[in-house]
Amino acid sequence: MTRKKILGSHVKRLLSGVSDHGRRHLNEVETDLVQTTLLLEEAVEKLTTSFMAIHQAVDARQHSINRLLAGEAPSAEESEKLTGMSGEIGQHVNTAITSMQFQDMTSQLLDRTLRRVSGLREFLTTLSEHGADIAPDCHSEEIVERLGKVSMALAIQSLELRSMLRKSVEQRHLESGDVELF
Amino acid sequence: MAKTILAVDDSSSLRQMVAFSLKAAGYQVIEAVDGQDGLDKAKQQAVDLVLTDQNMPKMDGLTLIKSLRGLPTYAKVPILMLTTESSDEMKSKGRAAGANGWLVKPFDPQRLIEVVKKVIG
Repeated sequence: MTRKKILGSHVKRLLSGVSDHGRRHLNEVETDLVQTTLLLEEAVEKLTTSFMAIHQAVDARQHSINRLLAGEAPSAEESEKLTGMSGEIGQHVNTAITSMQFQDMTSQLLDRTLRRVSGLREFLTTLSEHGADIAPDCHSEEIVERLGKVSMALAIQSLELRSMLRKSVEQRHLESGDVELF
Repeated sequence: MAKTILAVDDSSSLRQMVAFSLKAAGYQVIEAVDGQDGLDKAKQQAVDLVLTDQNMPKMDGLTLIKSLRGLPTYAKVPILMLTTESSDEMKSKGRAAGANGWLVKPFDPQRLIEVVKKVIG
C-alpha cells in the first residue's frame, strides 16, 4: 500500500470512529431525554389530577362540617360519605406518592445524560490534544502513527464510557412497578 | 411494640415517601442515605426489615445485602430491594446476594404496606 493510501485509511478510520462514537452516544442522550420528558409530562398530569381531587374532597368535607356546625343533622348518606372521606383522600395521596417518584427516575436519567456529555467532552479533548501534537510539517509516517494512537485512545474511551453508563431506568410510565417475593 | 424498618435510598424525596407510607401504617422507620450509611445504622440498631435501593453512591444495594448477610444478626432478617432496576439479571443477582424480594419503583404505598405486612407482619 502506498503511503498516501495508508494515511487515507487511517484518516478514514479515525473519522468513522469519531462519527460512530458521537452518533451512538447522542442517540442515547436523545432516548434518555425523550424518556425524561414522558415521565415529567405524566407526573405533572397525574399530580395535578391528584391535587385537584384532594382539594375537592377536602372542600366537600369542610362543607359537611360547616353544615354540622350550623346544627344540621347529617343524612345517612352524608354520614357514610363523611366516614369514607379519609379513605378517599388517602387514595389520592397514595396516587400522588406514586407519581412523585418521577424525581427519582428522571434524576437518574439526567445524571446518566450529564455523565455521557462529560464523557463526550473528554473524547473531544483527547482528539484535540492528539491533533495539537501533529506538526504541520511532520512526515506521513509520523502522522499515521499519531492517527493510530488517537484512534486507539478514542476506542478505549468509547468502551469505558459505554460500560460506565448501564441503563438503570427503563420505565416510561409512572405505573407502580412489579413486586416479586423470593 | 412497633416493628422497625431501615429504609436505604440516596434520594431524600424517596426516603420521605417511604417513611411517610410506612409510619402511617404503624411502623418505625430509620433512614439511611446510602449503602454504607445503611450498614452503619443496621449495626447500631437491630431492625426487623431492610428496604434498600440498588444504585447509590459509596455502597450499592447488592453490596449492602451481602455485607448484612455476613453479620450473624442479619442472617435471617428480611431484606427487600426497592429500585428502578427491573431486569431479570439484576433480580437474580439480588436473590443470590440474599434479598427476600424485589419491588420495582415507582411503588404504590398501599402495595408496599401489603408486602411489608406479608413479610414481617
